[in-house]
Amino acid sequence: MTLSWKRINAIFQKDTKDLWKNYFVSSIIVLPILMALLYSYTTEEPSIDLHYMIINLALASVTAFIQCAVIAEEKEKHTLRGLMLSPASIPEILIGKSLVTLFLTVITLLVCAFITGYQPANIALVAVALFISMVFYMGIGMILGLLSRTIIEASFIVMPVIFIFGFGSMLMGLIDRYPVLSFVEYLPNIQLLEFAYQVELGAGFGELWSYLAVILAWAIVAVILSGVVYKKRELDE
Amino acid sequence: MENIIEVKNLAKVFGNQTALEDVNFNVKKGETFGFLGPSGSGKTTTIKILTGQLLQTSGDAEVFGVKNTSLNNGSYRKRIGVLSDNSGLYQRLSIIENLKFFCDLYDVPHKRIDEVLELVNLTNEKKKGISKLSKGMTQRVLLARTLLHEPELLFLDEPTSALDPTNSQQIHEGLRRLTEKGTTIFLTTHDMGEAETLCDRVAFLHKGKIQLLDEPKALRRQFADGTLRVELKSGNVVSIPAGAKGADELYQFMSKDEVVSVHSNEPTLGDIFVQVTGKELLV
Repeated sequence: MTLSWKRINAIFQKDTKDLWKNYFVSSIIVLPILMALLYSYTTEEPSIDLHYMIINLALASVTAFIQCAVIAEEKEKHTLRGLMLSPASIPEILIGKSLVTLFLTVITLLVCAFITGYQPANIALVAVALFISMVFYMGIGMILGLLSRTIIEASFIVMPVIFIFGFGSMLMGLIDRYPVLSFVEYLPNIQLLEFAYQVELGAGFGELWSYLAVILAWAIVAVILSGVVYKKRELDE
Repeated sequence: MENIIEVKNLAKVFGNQTALEDVNFNVKKGETFGFLGPSGSGKTTTIKILTGQLLQTSGDAEVFGVKNTSLNNGSYRKRIGVLSDNSGLYQRLSIIENLKFFCDLYDVPHKRIDEVLELVNLTNEKKKGISKLSKGMTQRVLLARTLLHEPELLFLDEPTSALDPTNSQQIHEGLRRLTEKGTTIFLTTHDMGEAETLCDRVAFLHKGKIQLLDEPKALRRQFADGTLRVELKSGNVVSIPAGAKGADELYQFMSKDEVVSVHSNEPTLGDIFVQVTGKELLV
């Protein structure tokens, strides 16, 4: 399988121009930045928990929501059909449509980290974990966008994702009382948080790979599912 | 001549509703084939099946010799252009930005944009935002987008439905130029004038079945009532047999210098459709 960079870049450029004028969607990046500002003013030295509450919120709201909204709008305006009938392959479309989300997520995370003063002990390892997490959230956003009929529907359907993954660490406190919730430990946001704790304690790749593997597994499942849902959407029912 | 589309015993059922039933036809290379019928007759369903957007319930459909179930690949998509009522444009971008995007998707040089814009008479509007365009202009941009990569086979679903007569005429002219170059066109329309102007052959689709299929001229001859319509200077219009029987009568009128015009009494495609299906060909 060969990928055409020209087509991927064309989708990225088009989405960038389009999103620049779409205030309803692009304004979502303000949410984690406002949270970061709030906590930086109210907390002297934010904990890893706090840094990652903002990071996970950024991933769930910016990454998943933008991806979901961008795809849902393509469906609503019947432009997705034009893409599906073009020579662009599924990977080219999925990658092209993810680049603008990736770009905005990185900007948001950098701004949030600057505001809260987050300086990871090992920036390379954290960057890898964040990148894999972004792939997972983009996959989830893509699936939800493909399942939504309109952009308004997409903004509702993505809410549980923002709640579970954005504020999921709060669910950890309930595990002792409700053992049925023990699966929460394996959610990618919780794994990312645990990973970040270990990084701060000076852990190396040997101790960290299991966290990365769990997040990667989530990302792979999300990407495969988004491909399957996209393939299904190519056909009318 | 080579068949570009071959359809055999095609059927499509949605739940308990039959959309297509035992549909058979083929489209030859360079031909403009008209699929005529009212809304809900199965025209769009056929296009969706032929472009790989929908699977049939039974029967076979082949395009370029490939079964429609295997059409979801880039090489096939480069050879076709589809304009349908579910085609869309990016509303926040301008005409030129939309077309540049599709040029890059199809690997077509940007200079092609001016050619297609000229064809749809939008050269001076290219910087306009899509959201500011009228329905007719949007339809013309969609058509320009469909023609960008010079597809071998065009699927046009009601291409001039939102256009005024002048623009329709210009589009028809452009489509005729394309067929001269060898482009095959599969056209659905409820506009009989459009079908007569553009199509080499037409199929009447009604309730998911092809009722009639032939060249427009042949159909009109087949359904002609064998009379001539003679308009006289007195204002009267008389019908006389077109054969030897009417020759004397026509001679009488002509010798007295009473004739204004003589026309064969051939029905329009619309009349034939009503005759065959018992239904008006409404949108």
